[in-house]
Amino acid sequence: MSMTKLTLQIDGRSIETESGRTILEVCKENDITILTMCHLKGITDVGACRLCLVEIEGVSKLMSACTTKVADKMIIRTSTEKIKRYQRITTELFAAERNHVCSVCIANGHCELQKLAYDVKMDHIRYPYLFPQCEVDTSHPLYVLDHNRCIVCTRCVRVCAEVEGAYNWDVMNRGTNVRIISDFNTPWGESITCSDCGKCVEACPTGALWPKAVVQGQLNKAPEFISDLIEKRKMKL
Amino acid sequence: MSKKKLATVWLGGCSGCHMSLLDIDERILEVAQLADIVKCPIVDGKEFPEVDIALVEGAITSDEHLKEILHIRKQSKILISLGDCAIMTNVTGMRNYFNLKDVIETSYVGSVSNDDAGEVPNHWALLKLNDKVYPLQEIVEVDYFIPGCPPSADAIFYVLSELLNDRIPDLSEAKKMKHG
Ligand code: SF4
Ligand code: SF4
Ligand code: FES
Repeated sequence: MSMTKLTLQIDGRSIETESGRTILEVCKENDITILTMCHLKGITDVGACRLCLVEIEGVSKLMSACTTKVADKMIIRTSTEKIKRYQRITTELFAAERNHVCSVCIANGHCELQKLAYDVKMDHIRYPYLFPQCEVDTSHPLYVLDHNRCIVCTRCVRVCAEVEGAYNWDVMNRGTNVRIISDFNTPWGESITCSDCGKCVEACPTGALWPKAVVQGQLNKAPEFISDLIEKRKMKL
Repeated sequence: MSKKKLATVWLGGCSGCHMSLLDIDERILEVAQLADIVKCPIVDGKEFPEVDIALVEGAITSDEHLKEILHIRKQSKILISLGDCAIMTNVTGMRNYFNLKDVIETSYVGSVSNDDAGEVPNHWALLKLNDKVYPLQEIVEVDYFIPGCPPSADAIFYVLSELLNDRIPDLSEAKKMKHG
């Protein structure tokens, strides 16, 4: 891929970079914090969570930093009041849409959604909770899928397909009925594609996927392990 | 400066938030210098009085809680939601995923810990459960929120001492915010 040098401005700072990269990548390289949830370094970005929004001068709607490529002379703002307002709303909707009971959740204290809530200063939720009845799939011998805690970031789906190559996970339905499914919506324990590798569990930002060997509040995931693995697999020995 | 009036109450909660309040230990003396605690779960009977600050633990689960919170709101200049149950229903709201009748039958009639078939308690003195459990802010206006199950004693003391000194607390700035 041929790269051209380009110059852009982020939050008033002039930054030199190359074409072909996303706004998120450039921000990270320059220590500019962008909130993300569906992004996991190394796997394809899909722009699902709408947290990484940025303002680009001349563009009327907010754009997701993880899926928007940089261009020469772009003027980008990452932390305006408008962006913060949207991020707080998005976080509240994550919490209101499923059932997040942190106090009894396996991920309590080690959860990316909890951390996000602190980042956007979410001390309460202004929308009515939906309190949906959600299933907990415990059929797999090693792992659990708890739909109560799933924010449908699809990190599990992409890791399973792109890194493990097993294609166990998929997404079913739309709107509030959207669900992550194993094979053709069958119990995970009966999957003929799952290789039991556990990469989806590591990749999951919340208490939606967890190993049975862990007790409440003791879950400690390492999604960066997946990113390292991807890098290592690129090495030719 | 005249002393402020402070009240605490627990609705649909487990009293854990109040335990955490007690965990402010000797700092309660600082609170007592600036405020009189005119009502709390260990102060006897009488109606919820007019206060400057009300700390409310727990969600709205029943007809009684609903009546109480509407009254508390009228009586309080500042109403604080104390803890995850008050703010997001937390464990008390886990019955919201199901139909109330099924929940009651499962807990009383067919409970796995029952020796024989149980009965649904039905006494006039018992409160009547709402179909759904509500967080406080869905029923009344709430001025401040202290999340956590329970919130830390530090967070509670911080909010109280800010308010009692006529400052505006900001838990996230103070890095004292915690869910769960
Ligand atoms: S997944 Fe995270 S935010 Fe949701 S209940 Fe568990 S700890 Fe809380
Ligand atoms: S199970 Fe976890 S990784 Fe998969 S979509 Fe839900 S929150 Fe994301
Ligand atoms: S991280 Fe960009 S949309 Fe989710």
